[in-house]
Amino acid sequence: MTEAPALLELTGVSKRFGRITVADNLSLSFRAAEMVGIVGPNGAGKSTLFAMIAGDVTPDAGELRFDGRSVIRLDPAARCRMGIARTYQVPRPFENMTVFENLLVAAFRGGQVPRQSGFALAANLLEETGLSQDANRPAGRLGLLQRKRLELARGLATQPRVLLLDEVAGGLTDPEVAQLVAIVDQVRRRGVAVVWVEHVVHALTSAVSRLICLAGGRLIAEGTPDDVLANPEVKEVYLGADYGAEADWGKGVGD
Amino acid sequence: MTTGLAASDQSAPRAVRVTRARRSSLWGLTAVVAAVIGLATLPYLVYADVTDFLINAFILLVLASMWNLLAGYCGLISVGQQAYVGVGAYSVLVLAQNGINPYAAIPAAVLVAGLIAIPVSFLVFRLRAEYFAIGTWVVAEVFFLALIRVRSLGGGTGTSLPGLSLIDPALREAFTYWCALVIAAAALLASYLLLSSRMGLDLTAIRDNEVAARSVGVRVTTAQRIVYVVSAAGCGAGGALLIISQLNVLASAIFSVQWSAKMIFISLIGGVGSIEGPILGTGIFFAIQQSLAQLGAWYLILVGTVGIFVAMFLPRGVWGLISSRFHIQVFPVGYWLHEPHPALPQRGREKS
Repeated sequence: MTEAPALLELTGVSKRFGRITVADNLSLSFRAAEMVGIVGPNGAGKSTLFAMIAGDVTPDAGELRFDGRSVIRLDPAARCRMGIARTYQVPRPFENMTVFENLLVAAFRGGQVPRQSGFALAANLLEETGLSQDANRPAGRLGLLQRKRLELARGLATQPRVLLLDEVAGGLTDPEVAQLVAIVDQVRRRGVAVVWVEHVVHALTSAVSRLICLAGGRLIAEGTPDDVLANPEVKEVYLGADYGAEADWGKGVGD
Repeated sequence: MTTGLAASDQSAPRAVRVTRARRSSLWGLTAVVAAVIGLATLPYLVYADVTDFLINAFILLVLASMWNLLAGYCGLISVGQQAYVGVGAYSVLVLAQNGINPYAAIPAAVLVAGLIAIPVSFLVFRLRAEYFAIGTWVVAEVFFLALIRVRSLGGGTGTSLPGLSLIDPALREAFTYWCALVIAAAALLASYLLLSSRMGLDLTAIRDNEVAARSVGVRVTTAQRIVYVVSAAGCGAGGALLIISQLNVLASAIFSVQWSAKMIFISLIGGVGSIEGPILGTGIFFAIQQSLAQLGAWYLILVGTVGIFVAMFLPRGVWGLISSRFHIQVFPVGYWLHEPHPALPQRGREKS
């Protein structure tokens, strides 16, 4: 297997909030057309990691390279235009805009596509994510599943090369999760690096080729899903962090 | 590498039909144009007290529309737009004192207000939310305190506007009225053009969720700065009209926070976040004023109560109520995706 050069590379990234360390000298890299899962107990630093990659949070130390260029000084909008898209754990739709308009902003700005192709891109994505029927509804009226789909579709409308998914499967039923995984996998096959943070571990194991486990801002384990989940340290992190019984592996714990 | 995600894998580029509203709203724009033309003929038809009244209405409409641009589309709550009302008025005064016709000075006043807003924006944009509101007010007070130190501009006691005494009063009033009408129409047109451009989409996104707007690539601060400058320019036009219609200026009146209170009230009752809102709001404001003004202090209490009531129960104002009930938009700035989706009927049966 030939190793493609990393599309996104973090080197020695650290971040503390007061006395709490959320990233401790993290070095990670992600390649194009790869789907990587990130797991870890609450407070492991998963969301902060995304916030640092997307530019919402500035690391205290370390370097962040995208496509060979340092992006550490760029703001979220600039990073998005370069091709780093993120979704939020709690969807943040533009509530008084229609679903279609939500995608248009992302396509025009993040994706920097011209007018007509923006319309086509948005319409296609609505269809792919099963939102066609809601195209002209205000996004604020959507239910949770549709909001999660919109969050994903809007991320995709920015034409990303790295897609950061923050718990998009949380709160969804198994068939709904399967649908979502299928959509995301299609995206990956087009060459996008997908990095997926999820509490529902089983949603990830079926979809990702590589799993990373974080705890206390540190990298605990990295490798194939099976290897990582079999890792004693990983087990301890989960079991020790009052997530209790093995059964919880499958169900995940809602926040 | 902008290898498109979607679109790229689709076999043929699909024609997507998108319009600016669900239904054609040509009638709405026609009605607006007709109204403007009708209003333009008024000086020939009615007495000056009516046109005087309308001049004040147009000024408030301009100011409220500008406040609405900031608050309704940028999420910037300013209580200091009177800074630019004052700058506009005093720009006209300075130019008139130097022999320039006050009417001809209006565009310059607009320009000056816009230009001053650029450096000020760098100052106040360091502040967020309520701090921004207070900051803008402080700026207005600073402008006021600086201006009353200038003797030649009347200091704190005010001064009258030279340059219009040779014009026949009837003609002057008619001309002022036309200027006010043109500026009100221009303010609405500018709002419409701004909001129906792609930047309008950015602004609506910012209003709804600033963090999410940033994360989809919107240059939030740039968009806000542009609107702040446009809004200042518009308020400058309002100030220029004020001094021309009153023929004098008093610093404490022109820099009064009352202007902001009126802008807020009008936008709030009419509907924040729509172009139609301030138009309706101006009408309601004057209706309340005309019918209740003789009540004295009770009038203000009533106005305040109405404002609170609307803010609590009609967050999108009276226009929001009307437009959602009847699905009408006079100024359509949205994007409506039309149904025909070839893939739609079979969706669900498809793979994946």
